[in-house]
Amino acid sequence: MKKILVLTTVLCSIALLSSCKKDEEKATFGTLALEFDNKIGDQELTLADATSTDFKYTNSHNQNFNVSLLGYYITNVKLEGPNGEVFVDPVTTGSAAADVKGIYQVLESDVNSQVITLSNVPSGKYDKVTFTLGIPADIVQEGATGGVLDPAEGAWLWNWDAGYIGFAFEGRSPASPVVATQWNPENSVQIHIGGWKDITDNPMMVNNVKTFTLEFGTSVNVGEKLEPNAHIVMDLLEVIDGHHGSADFTTTNQVHTPAGGTEFAENLHAAFVVDHVHQ
Amino acid sequence: MAPVFGATFSPFTMKKQLIISALALVSVVFGCKKDETEQGPSYEFRKPENFPEPTYTFDNNPVTEAGFKLGKKLFFDPILSVDNTVSCNNCHNQSLAFADLPLHAFSKGVMDRQGTRNAPQLVNLAFMKEFFWDGGVTHLDFVPLTAIESEVEMDEEIENVISKLNNHADYPALFKAAFGTDEINTPLMLHALSQFTNLMVSNNAPYDKYLRGETALSEQELEGQRLFEQKCQSCHSGILFTDESYRNNGIDSVFTDIGRARITAFDGDIGKFRVPSLRNVGITRPYMHNAKFATLEEVLDHYSDGIIESPSLDPSLKNGIPMTAEEKAAIIAFLKTLTDKEFTQDERFFKG
Repeated sequence: MKKILVLTTVLCSIALLSSCKKDEEKATFGTLALEFDNKIGDQELTLADATSTDFKYTNSHNQNFNVSLLGYYITNVKLEGPNGEVFVDPVTTGSAAADVKGIYQVLESDVNSQVITLSNVPSGKYDKVTFTLGIPADIVQEGATGGVLDPAEGAWLWNWDAGYIGFAFEGRSPASPVVATQWNPENSVQIHIGGWKDITDNPMMVNNVKTFTLEFGTSVNVGEKLEPNAHIVMDLLEVIDGHHGSADFTTTNQVHTPAGGTEFAENLHAAFVVDHVHQ
Repeated sequence: MAPVFGATFSPFTMKKQLIISALALVSVVFGCKKDETEQGPSYEFRKPENFPEPTYTFDNNPVTEAGFKLGKKLFFDPILSVDNTVSCNNCHNQSLAFADLPLHAFSKGVMDRQGTRNAPQLVNLAFMKEFFWDGGVTHLDFVPLTAIESEVEMDEEIENVISKLNNHADYPALFKAAFGTDEINTPLMLHALSQFTNLMVSNNAPYDKYLRGETALSEQELEGQRLFEQKCQSCHSGILFTDESYRNNGIDSVFTDIGRARITAFDGDIGKFRVPSLRNVGITRPYMHNAKFATLEEVLDHYSDGIIESPSLDPSLKNGIPMTAEEKAAIIAFLKTLTDKEFTQDERFFKG
């Protein structure tokens, strides 16, 4: 149903646009890059080795910690402009990595993954971006998928409550009492935000997939020969130590269920800000 | 064929039309041939007329003979487990409608590790909305991952499985034949297994033949059917004999396994488990998620006289389900008409 609505909307806007423009000029397209920069408060984020005891960062509970893994899935990207411009980044799934489009895994460990270049964007002005953080129901329910959703290629797939982890943070803190196991180093902190289901009428079924809009604060021009980008800062402290929930690592250090991640999922929107744009 | 969610300018519809015309052509050709030559077994997924629409995404993964046979090879191959000792078939035996032996109330995984829930039959999976006793998995493709990665089942990492398959003497060519690709990856492996399990359609039990007017049921079986409709059908409903809900059926008051609450994180769901399909129930003992009952007689005795109170107990079971000994015998006679020998003896599923 949603698909049909989206499709209808897109087709209608295409029809409108093309009927206006038909006789005037040939439509042109350009790119817009979204660059994700992960920070901790106002500090730059540097990944530590999983066993590192160098604890550079501090939360509001005055607990030191480090970060060994950080990343998130982004999909359903949409650009909008002040004059009614709309661009919807197409999302496709399939077995081959090349068939999986419009679904991105941004990893702190992989610089290339931190730039999402949207292409075939109709020329025009854009001043906001909307995206979904996490992998929503309609993608999960397509079944096994390749590329960034292939668990053998590093996709974060929960098997027991099948679905993808939308946002993952792992590190260590001396405040965490976790003892070493085959899965965790000593003092481990792992916060995995997942859960996508509202497919039943159970009010307790947790859906932590969030869609939100970020304003550029200005507008950028997209067009042929232009290479604009929007620089998005994600502040990890806003996620794990934010308005809706704050992890005290002495008690909250292993979050591996949808319900456990709810308060942190509520923090996600505030963690992402468009810092500036380059024309 | 990749499904498209957002804006699309792909020749999706055109492709579909082409496929439909191609299929029409094929059926015309087959139509001519039908009476001339003996056809081999069909590997096409066919929805029985009186079944609901399948839930499976066949658009992404249609069943083909090569894909089905590849899925079968994987199903029987212990290569999926960490020490190459346990295959899907170890705990899902065709002669028992793909349930485990009664001897294994809880199935044995690698290194003789014991599972914690009764391995269910694998029947009519293409029509189910959710899987496992707690319903945590919502798409058939993802089902095998849980068994592969479970410490007490196959205890293997999916990366290793894919790497073992890519380095195997036979599998690369079989995947190429089934999917036209040179590289084996997780979705293709899961698609092959789904092709195999999607054809596990059980609709040729004596009950089905009775519905189709092909056979008669005995007096006692018919009486059992009437009683079943009164006493059991509110949960074991429809042609699949399950309403796919989660209920506490009073087999415990203390729940070491919290069941559905593991997925919903809702206290009211503690002790609730999936209502299982009753197809082939006559050959899938023991019964319940914790294998509490060895026989159907014990199950019905439980419902008539053994219900244990607890906060999440299903309201319909508060007072038990009154049944006389004679009524129980009739219900069991009816349940046995759900045993589908054509399914348990279907040669397409034989290891070969």
